[in-house]
Amino acid sequence: MIVVVGVSHKTAPLEVREALAVPKERMAEALACLKSEAHLAEAMILSTCNRVEVYAGAAEGDPADAVASCFASFHGRPMGELEPFLYRVSGEAAVRHAFRVAASLDSLVLGEPQILGQVKDAYQAAEEAASLGGGLNALRNRSLAAAKRARTETSIGHNAVSVSYVAVELARKIFGSLKDRNVLIVGAGKMSELAAKHLVRNGAFATVLGGRTFERAEELAAALGGRAVPFEGLRGELAKADIVISGTGATGLVIRKEDVEAARQSRRRPLFLIDIAVPRDIEASVRKLEGVFLYDLDDLKSVADANLRERQKEAAAAEAIIDEEVRDFLSWQKSLDVTPMVTALRHRAEKIRREELDRARKKLGPLSPEQEAALELATTAMVNKLLHTPTTELKEMSKSGRAAEAVELVRRLFGL
Amino acid sequence: MNARVYLLLTLGLYAVGALHVLVHALTRRRLLSSWSVTAALAGFAVHTASLSQRWTEVGHFPIVGLHDGASFLAWATVLAFLTTYVRTKVDALGLVVYPVAFALVLVATLSPATEREDPILKSLFLPIHTTLALLGYGALFVAFAMGIFYLIQERELKSRAPRTLYYLIPSLEHCDSISGRSVVVGFGFLTLAIVTGVLWSRAAKGVYWTWDAKEWSATIAWVIYVVLITARQRTGWGGRRAALLGIVGFAAVVFTFAWMTLLSGASHPAS
Repeated sequence: MIVVVGVSHKTAPLEVREALAVPKERMAEALACLKSEAHLAEAMILSTCNRVEVYAGAAEGDPADAVASCFASFHGRPMGELEPFLYRVSGEAAVRHAFRVAASLDSLVLGEPQILGQVKDAYQAAEEAASLGGGLNALRNRSLAAAKRARTETSIGHNAVSVSYVAVELARKIFGSLKDRNVLIVGAGKMSELAAKHLVRNGAFATVLGGRTFERAEELAAALGGRAVPFEGLRGELAKADIVISGTGATGLVIRKEDVEAARQSRRRPLFLIDIAVPRDIEASVRKLEGVFLYDLDDLKSVADANLRERQKEAAAAEAIIDEEVRDFLSWQKSLDVTPMVTALRHRAEKIRREELDRARKKLGPLSPEQEAALELATTAMVNKLLHTPTTELKEMSKSGRAAEAVELVRRLFGL
Repeated sequence: MNARVYLLLTLGLYAVGALHVLVHALTRRRLLSSWSVTAALAGFAVHTASLSQRWTEVGHFPIVGLHDGASFLAWATVLAFLTTYVRTKVDALGLVVYPVAFALVLVATLSPATEREDPILKSLFLPIHTTLALLGYGALFVAFAMGIFYLIQERELKSRAPRTLYYLIPSLEHCDSISGRSVVVGFGFLTLAIVTGVLWSRAAKGVYWTWDAKEWSATIAWVIYVVLITARQRTGWGGRRAALLGIVGFAAVVFTFAWMTLLSGASHPAS
């Protein structure tokens, strides 16, 4: 049975998640500890900043409690302290949980793309620590495939939800292709650099306007493969620019309405102004100019929120895909169960034994109770001995992932 | 099968496309799927069959009266849409074209077919003039729709709070450039339609130009498009103003078509 025990952003505050995180270098140790102390056949640990979860597979019974207490003792914490944050899911619910996590449906930022890689890495680490068996391996393959499907068939991963990507998407909504567009960067801050990098990667050409320290502008220009220009060139550069990212630390306005108006005299193409400075760099009334689109930090955030709402709509479609994949996985899992085949085999043997016994009794006539008992004993032993190897072999084969083959073989050999 | 059966089949297929595209717009998945494109292609094929069948049934080019006019206009619109879609992959256009095509074919099925014997309808000018005009209308409709999209997208971007249409409509640049190219194509057909119309008038009535309302509106539309195209090419004009002017131009086109099919009925060539 597969169980998932852990904490996530939904159940535990950051301090708790941090305290329970399993660093890479302790991964093998943690897995070994889980296997020996909780008597697990297989174990995997997914440890990201938003969740720490143990995926465990046990041959028999529900190991959730054992996993939980082992997890607590690994971190040297009393169980009582962890208990309020911990969730345990087992069987079908655990499978569903694993699928939803991989598809980023349980993420803090719905549809964020990193989780898929993190899940992949976690399975990889478990594989390297030799703690992955048939059960978790199958879960790995199927849940990752389902996550990819959800990602390609819905747009859950579309529409940026981070401010710098939002800026790039807005630029695309204005200009279509960003190839050969001129980006003017005013003030070489961290966030303007990030947004500019995205734009340059999409084919835009960067010009960095120097401030008090021209070297900083030159550095950034070199990093972006563009050029640096002294601040005095603002108006001239503004006339050439398609996109302006302004993020200076200045206390007053850096780009005024008359600057933009002057720049617009010579051209009609749209101008996209991104003001990520606080306090703002660009005079707000330029927004009223035809063909000028001005977004400040708050605007970018509100677009990001709108995009997140879009993703939430898409999540329903992704959930439907995951449901379907989970159903498939569960029915596939059920097909691996050889118990019904073993029972059928036993029933069949028992039926033959009884029929043959009755036939023998008719020929033998009345028997003494001792003779009767001996006959019973002999035939039962015979059946048991004959069936012993096929049944154990059937179970063995199913453990090594050849259940379907084993079942088919037994069906044919015994005419079931 | 007769032309009406084909037309009903067309109506069904366009309905499938229209419903599909609207449902998709509401659920915000990709707008056009293979479903709606297939419906449009199949609808267009059956529609073409319907028109050619109607041609043989009525004995002249099927463009006389509301029934045939609406049907043919829908056909030209879908053709313009499919051409644009193949070239640009802009699917938002389906949002307008599918419902419009459905509505026009619905009008066609509901209105009685005009049956009229008139020697003027046997003229070779009828198929040439009307086909050119309708191809022009189709292209100009695409230009008009892209212009509307431009204005909507501009409003969405200015509002800084994107709603449904922001996600569905392509970029400003795309709207503008597709609209610009469609205007050129549509204008070309419109010019040829006017020239053939003038020649037909001369052949039928002995005068090149009669100055009726339809001819006036066609001329106004033509002049607006001349201004629009020159401004675009000479001064890099585009965007909002081009979209607005394109809308005015298209209004004149709509008036020309409506005058021909509704008010003057079949009498246009002889009027």
